[in-house]
Amino acid sequence: MRPDTWPMFLNPAIWGFLFEGLRETIYIALASVAVSFPVGLLFALGRLSRRRWIRWPSTFYIEGVRALPVLLLIAYFGIKGSALFRPIFGQDFELPLFWAGVLGLSMYTSAVLAEIIRAGTVSLPRGQSEAARALGLSHAQTMRSVILPQALRLMVPAMMAQLTTVIKDTSLVGTIGVFELLRQGRTIYTQFFNPVEVLLIVATVYFVICFALSRASRRFELGYTPRAARIKIQDIALRDQAA
Amino acid sequence: MPGGIAFEFPQLYFTGLWLTIQISVLGLLGALVLGTLVAVLRVSPIAPLGWIGAAYVEFFRNTPLVALLFFLFLGLPLIGLRFSTDTFENIFRAAAVGMGLYHGAYVAEVVRGGLLGVDRGQIEAARSLGLSYAQMLRYVQLPQTFRSVIPPLGNIGIALVKNTSLASTIGVAELLYAAEIVESRTFRAEEAFIAATLLYLVLTIPLGIAVNALERRMLVAR
Repeated sequence: MRPDTWPMFLNPAIWGFLFEGLRETIYIALASVAVSFPVGLLFALGRLSRRRWIRWPSTFYIEGVRALPVLLLIAYFGIKGSALFRPIFGQDFELPLFWAGVLGLSMYTSAVLAEIIRAGTVSLPRGQSEAARALGLSHAQTMRSVILPQALRLMVPAMMAQLTTVIKDTSLVGTIGVFELLRQGRTIYTQFFNPVEVLLIVATVYFVICFALSRASRRFELGYTPRAARIKIQDIALRDQAA
Repeated sequence: MPGGIAFEFPQLYFTGLWLTIQISVLGLLGALVLGTLVAVLRVSPIAPLGWIGAAYVEFFRNTPLVALLFFLFLGLPLIGLRFSTDTFENIFRAAAVGMGLYHGAYVAEVVRGGLLGVDRGQIEAARSLGLSYAQMLRYVQLPQTFRSVIPPLGNIGIALVKNTSLASTIGVAELLYAAEIVESRTFRAEEAFIAATLLYLVLTIPLGIAVNALERRMLVAR
């Protein structure tokens, strides 16, 4: 540690620089959640479908993506993202790195969210869907008006916990050249040669956000979650927390 | 053949796979030891020890692993701590230590859950028989947690194998790094990444199947 490095943090320009990174981090996280929630819901429904040609591909996607490292997906889209969209948007299309990162992150998060939603629907008592069917609702109607509203409500804490994972994972998007919080910190310490101080500050910022979120998620817990669902959620929380 | 490119660059891919396995195994061992110690701290009757354990768990669960890896590889040498004088050995050890520290926090939560799940009567009976607190932990409380914590620990193992890919950010030539090098040499991105993907799946899928099977057996047994 150099003795003269702490005073430089009195300079507001340094904090402005870090704040730009933080803003980017939050944008990446929000964009990823916005993309992955509908996609995840779709795959969850696909995996719950009774038609094999929908169920099998959905299961394959969910299990396949969950078995991969997020960084691999992000690195792949960082390199090949533009080429993938050129057939659609024309030869000159350049995918901004921001969206390449969001794409990689959302692909992973959508698979995890699909599993969380599915755990919620499976944990509801069978009587719910049986009663709905007995009242004459179709399978689609049962899903839409009976099962999903309850399942999603039940899974709010698990989904918020996944949001903290997404925020931590935005730090990986920095590796493909998006200037999020950690990447901005790296720029500062390569300039001033003080990684200890900068990394402590950056880690504290992540900590404050994620800790507050995980605390808040507990307040949304409904009283009783069935044991099988709790075990399933713990599995997801342990296996799919990445970086 | 998908993944055939791995045999064109066996040096990169299979050395990478071997490094991934090494970091995973070392990291998991570190995480298990550290996590169990922290869990014991957290359930210990001495409050300050419990606070230290809680601080450890919350800190590492809520900060990104990449930041930790950069700290271990760039920050520590500046404070005068270095894992090895050899650069490659240094980043390898930094990666393994980082994996252990980070996943130790998750292990600690799981083991703590297991320890708290042991019936209080067991603990009280052991203490009233004259066993010291340490003896009680060693012979009564810890052995009973093993069964219930094995499936969640398997899940942590899967997460750890996937997270070793982050070691590529500090320059460890593991699987993802191999894929990136091969891509930059050949511009065959799909093949390069699919080869790495398949090699990761070779590690994670058997683990996943084992965890699911164990879990089903435990669910029946409990």
